[in-house]
Amino acid sequence: MLMEVKNQLKVSLLAIKYAVMREMLNKVTFITNIIFMILNNASFIIQWLILFSLKDNVGGYSFKQVMLLWGIASATYGFAHFFFKKAFSLSDTINNGKLDVYLVQPKNVLLSAICTDVDVSAIGDMLYGYIMLFVYGFNISSFLLFTLFVICGGLIITCVSVILNSLSFWFQKSDIIADTGNSLMTNIATYPEGIFKGVVKILLFTLIPVGIANYLPVKIISEFNIYLFVIVIGVTILFIMLAFIIFNKGLKKYSSSNLMIARI
Amino acid sequence: MKKYWFIFKTEVMSNMQYILNVLAGFIGYFIMLFIFFNLWKYIYNEPNQIINGYTMSQMIWYVIITEILWSVLSGRKYCAKIIDDVRGGNIAYNVNKPYNYIGYCLATHLGSCFIRAIMYIVLGMFIGLIFLGNFPSLNIFSILAVLITGILATVISTLLLTFIGLFSFIIEDANPFYWVYSKLILVLGTIFPIEYFPTFIQPILKFSPIYVVSYGPAHLFVNFNWAEFINIIIFQFIYIIIAYLMCSLVYKIGVKRLNVNGG
Repeated sequence: MLMEVKNQLKVSLLAIKYAVMREMLNKVTFITNIIFMILNNASFIIQWLILFSLKDNVGGYSFKQVMLLWGIASATYGFAHFFFKKAFSLSDTINNGKLDVYLVQPKNVLLSAICTDVDVSAIGDMLYGYIMLFVYGFNISSFLLFTLFVICGGLIITCVSVILNSLSFWFQKSDIIADTGNSLMTNIATYPEGIFKGVVKILLFTLIPVGIANYLPVKIISEFNIYLFVIVIGVTILFIMLAFIIFNKGLKKYSSSNLMIARI
Repeated sequence: MKKYWFIFKTEVMSNMQYILNVLAGFIGYFIMLFIFFNLWKYIYNEPNQIINGYTMSQMIWYVIITEILWSVLSGRKYCAKIIDDVRGGNIAYNVNKPYNYIGYCLATHLGSCFIRAIMYIVLGMFIGLIFLGNFPSLNIFSILAVLITGILATVISTLLLTFIGLFSFIIEDANPFYWVYSKLILVLGTIFPIEYFPTFIQPILKFSPIYVVSYGPAHLFVNFNWAEFINIIIFQFIYIIIAYLMCSLVYKIGVKRLNVNGG
């Protein structure tokens, strides 16, 4: 079992390595993509400087905590889009019969399908996350917790995307639902939870797990709490299991479209 | 001019076939408005409080209008298409046609914005009325004036996006320039009116594209006056001329560098 997991990880990492090498063929474009993505994210600092000039705290967050929230949101997004880029267009892979190539490989279909490409600008997102950690205040424990939460958050948003995109096995045009879910998670993730009230707040910690992927990590890094820590890890594992179960259930309904494609 | 009108009409008709796709975009628009509604409700201690000359209701109406302008534009897709055309060589099909390429881009994109604009305006007004329960004091003439500035704002944005897209002739991938441009417009022009920025930056912003593509129409909508309308229109015409000349220049330089491999 462990050997199998190790082999699968090795294959997925190799696929990512080759995808990065492909992207690095044009080094200028590669580097500008990363630098401009950092600048792109940094432009939102202006928004928060203005909001904090109007009020001492926004949604119960200090300026530094909002920067940390931005760091976690940006790095989790970057982690998910760098390692699992294709998870965000999985419905296209399913609808157009592009899963065929992965079905004939003696490896896990889901992992093979979502790890075949990388988003270079996502490196900029990840770097920006760590820059924001420095703005918040760097120490070894916050660095380790931040890294762990970036991985957990990245896995959660990837799993949510896989679950929503897997609806394509059952329904046509479900890509709209997946796109909406993804943009909902991304847009809300950078705003403090305190501005939302009532049912929306409950949704953020359940159906739309932005609270688990972003808000709880900020709380834990600000003030360590073992219960919240266990919740983040537990929910991450739960989402991973759900993603695999739903994808595999849907896979049984998949039928090939006889599409011939060449993978270079 | 007739041929561009025909291109515009064709694009409008073609977009009418994909109205469902526009409806899908509404969800994203609604999410953004919902976030800003909550944010401003939190920032304002009471609805009648005035911050930098705006009540809470005016701030939210301002964001509704700037978000309409931004969503209707669908700039990412448009810019990416020009970048892909330049990088992939598809632009070669347009180079030898009997029309001006910039005019062609403008006509097609405005055509694709037309249906979106009608739908987003209706939805935006509806959401505003539901969230706020009031409407800015405007008469039919001032509404028409705001519409004119909105149309000119879309023309300027389209030309500026065409300029960024055509920049791919010079550097291979102009997408990063688009990200920075879009975020500047979003942060400096969509989320906040110019009055929210430090006084020393405000004159700079009033001469920047932000004034003509987002602040102008939205500010007129929440606080209309004819003197400002004329001022905005003058600036918008100046910007249209400058942006068009910039596009023509980069296109001219780019086409000379174009290498097409037959196939």
